Order: sequence, then C-alpha cells, then structure tokens
Amino acid sequence: MIVLDKVDKVFPGSNIPAVKQVSFQVDEGNICVFVGPSGCGKTTILRMINRLIEPTSGDIYIKGKKVSDKGLNPDHLRREIGYVIQQIGLLPHRTVEQNVALVPYLLKWPEENIKPRVRELLDMVGLDPDEVAQKYPFQLSGGMMQRVGVARALAADPPIMLMDEPFGAVDPIVRGRLQDEFLRLQKEMKKTICFVTHDINEAIKMGDHIVIMNKGELVQHGTPMEILSEPANSFVKDLIGTEREIKLLELTKSGEIVNKKAEIPETVRQKDCFISVIDPVQRALETMMKKDSDLVGVRDKDQEIGTISWNDIKKLINKLSGDA
Amino acid sequence: MDFEMERFISALIDRSPPHALVHLQLVLIPVIVAFLIAFPVAVLLTRRRFMRYTDRVMTFFNMGQTIPPLAIIAVFFPFLGLGMEPALFALTIYALLPIARNTLAGLKGVPQEVKEAARGIGMSEWEMLMRVEIPLSMPVVMAGIKISVVLTSGTAALGALVGAGGMGAVIFAGIDFFRAELIIAGTLVIGAIAIVLDRILSVIDNKLTPPHMKM
Repeated sequence: MIVLDKVDKVFPGSNIPAVKQVSFQVDEGNICVFVGPSGCGKTTILRMINRLIEPTSGDIYIKGKKVSDKGLNPDHLRREIGYVIQQIGLLPHRTVEQNVALVPYLLKWPEENIKPRVRELLDMVGLDPDEVAQKYPFQLSGGMMQRVGVARALAADPPIMLMDEPFGAVDPIVRGRLQDEFLRLQKEMKKTICFVTHDINEAIKMGDHIVIMNKGELVQHGTPMEILSEPANSFVKDLIGTEREIKLLELTKSGEIVNKKAEIPETVRQKDCFISVIDPVQRALETMMKKDSDLVGVRDKDQEIGTISWNDIKKLINKLSGDA
Repeated sequence: MDFEMERFISALIDRSPPHALVHLQLVLIPVIVAFLIAFPVAVLLTRRRFMRYTDRVMTFFNMGQTIPPLAIIAVFFPFLGLGMEPALFALTIYALLPIARNTLAGLKGVPQEVKEAARGIGMSEWEMLMRVEIPLSMPVVMAGIKISVVLTSGTAALGALVGAGGMGAVIFAGIDFFRAELIIAGTLVIGAIAIVLDRILSVIDNKLTPPHMKM
C-alpha cells in the first residue's frame, strides 16, 4: 500500500541527513508505528508521505503510484490522506461541525451530504453531535479536541491515515481510552495507518508492524512480537526497557498456551480463578497473584477448556526471550 | 479670548456641517486607499517568495508616517498643486503604516499548528489564506484600521492649510480671529468623527469575529 524505496532527506543548511536510505513497506489495513527518540526522523518520514516535505532522493509509492509524480497535485494528494497531529490544529474561529466538514468541503461534496456525515463522524469518535457540533474548539477539553481531530481526518473516508503522536498531548488515562477506542474503530475501518510515537508501549499496543528509527536510520522493523523477542541491538533493547518479559506476556493470548488436557481442580473453582481465552497471558499472572493460586482455569465464553499453570508461563517467557 | 454660548452653538450647527462632510472625505478616502494598498502588500510580504522584501517595504511605510504630511505636500506641490488632491495623497501615505504593520503582525500571529494542520488536510495556499490566515488575523488588522482612522481624523485638520477644507478650516478661522468658540467647536467635531468611525468599525469587527476571539 505504502512503499518507501531508499528515501533520503537532507534539510537545507544541514549536512547530516534527517533520514538515511530508509526502505520499508506498509501493508493495506495495517497500523505501522514509527518509534524512536526525538530527531530520529520519524516525523520527517510521515511528512514525506503526504509531501509536506519532499525527499532529497529515493521514491515513495502509494498503491503503486509514485507520489512525487509531476501530474499529481500535492494538495489533492493530501485530501486523500487523513492527517492528525499532536497539537491538533483545529481552526479556532470555526465550530466543531465546520472543522470536521473541512475536507468534504474542499472536495466539494454536496452540502446536504456533509451535515449527516459530520454527525456520523462525531458519533463514531464518541462525541454527542447535539452537544458539541456548534461549540468552538476552545470550549472543549483536550481529549475531546483530539477526538474532533480524528473525526476531521476521517471525514472524507481516506484509505490512508497519517498520525503524528495523536494522543501525546492528553493525560495517561485519557490516552489509554483514546487508544482503545481507536483500535476498536480500526477493526471496522481497516485503514492503512502510519503512526508516529516516541513511546514504545504505545507502539507495541497500537502497531501491527513497528519501525524503529535512530538518527535517521531504520534500526529494526517487524511485528511487536518479533521486536520484543529478538531485539536487533542494544539500542532496541534500551528502547524496550526493563519490562520486556511483561510486555511479551501482554502480547500473547491465553488461548495460545492453554493446557487443554488438564483437569480443572476443585480449588480453582472455589476461588473463582478463571480468565478468558482472549485475555493476555499477563492476566493469568495477575489472577494467580490476586487469588493466591498456582493455576488458573481458562474459559472460552462459558465453556471451561483447560488450565494455565505458573510453569506454563515460565516456559513461555523462556521461549520468547530466548535465554533461560 | 472670551466664550459666548450663542456663537459656540452657531459654530457647531451652522458653520460646521459642510466642513464636517469634507473632513469625513479627508479621512475615509485616504484610509480606504491606504487599506487597498497596505493590506495586499502586507499579505504578499508574508508569502515565501516576497518575504525577503519585508524590511525594505516596511521602511518605506515607516517613512510615510515619520515625514509630516505638510512636508509631503510641499515636496509634491509642483505635481499636485494645492487643494484636495495633495491633501488626500499626503494623508493616504500617512495612513499606510498602521494597516500594513498590523496586517503583518496578524498574519504572523496565526498559530503554526493551525497552518500545519490546514496544509496537511489539503488546503491550497489560496484556500489557506482566505479561510485560515485572513480570518484569524482579522481582529489585529481591524485594530490597525482603527488606529489609522483615528490618526487621520486628527491629521486631516491640516488639510485646511493647503486649501482642502475640512474641520481644519473652522479651527484655523478661530485661531485667526481669536474666536475660542470656533476652535472648540472644530475640535469637538473632529473628536466626534473619530469616535463615530471607530464605533462603526467595532460593529463590523464584532460581526466578523467569533465572540471568544475578540481583542
């Protein structure tokens, strides 16, 4: 869907490239997260995809079409790509409704289609259209503004979204909620999303695919599982931090390690020590500690299908982290 | 100088109105022409292509306000002579600076993230100017127009010295004939013109700007 081929960017007046020979591919319907410290070139890559910045050399393709083609008007290209930034950038002199309607308006949608679409979008991002449509941005909380920003980017139903630290400006609780809701939305929308963050935890949570950048170079890319289980070098290890095993447990579903042959002992039933197959393994660990048990029962909806023991979890950690 | 109420009222009611009309022209025409010049020029100076000329152009506008209008009239006397035209010309040059300066300040004050987002969602440079930059800088631009109006209202009194008429004619007659009533009446009318024009502009400003963005 989106392909970068040996892309370089050197900003005028600087002799150190901001982006060096970066090549990778984002598959359709995936969230690809770029993560790395400030100045690593992740935002520059994002801004080159919608041509807010032109690459110094190399090519970028969207759906097989070269974005730098002379015949392609960059303004028109950007209208086909949703764009969300950390500072949101809502127009302060326009109401929420007018802000969300901007791209459909630029695309010259018929007036009567725009209003219902705005209501639908506000509803989708969890805002009450009757309550907020006529408000000005300054009357909203940070979290609400960010939702409006996402609604505006989704307005014309673009197949691609670029999101630059979209949830970076809100407190951790609101951020967690926005992430969850966005992932739920994405399950239905199946957009191709490029997502920039400096937070490895957010990358692991949001990404189908993670691209790790440092000093303009691509250090490693792969699924969150691949990155966590086989960090390419010490930079990636440092970025992941100390809780690698726990993060791995968050990424593994209980269903993957459930012991289906085991009987469920009576003590587990007495303590009501059960989790669901779709819960992460980490939940099994938490439940064990909370209920003071070495064993949890696993349910698939109402069906009891097996157990996970403390030893099963230890084996999983050893297998994933590759060292005993 | 003594003061007689009857003469004062006559100066206000009988003598002032025709001069006030001329005075209004001496304010409105220069401010409108100055706006038509300074506003587009200032907009151009914020575009990337023309940014490097900003200092030079602003120096010119600055000079327009430092050189006294009477000096400008004197310099251009050979071409424009005396009367209405040189007065309008000098006052226009005088009115340029506040409008140009405030337009520049207003456009530069548009938040970077708003411009970034507007460009990112696909606004062309023209759409961004018309729908984002100009509306957001309007309160500052309007403040500049108001400053120009008030400045020109006062300075236009000098128009009478070159035969352009206006309320200056009433004031200078009062000075020549030692009539305090005329001087005071002329000054009051000029003040009233400045205040009324300022209020009208405020009403327009209120219509253009959402309540929370007023200066």
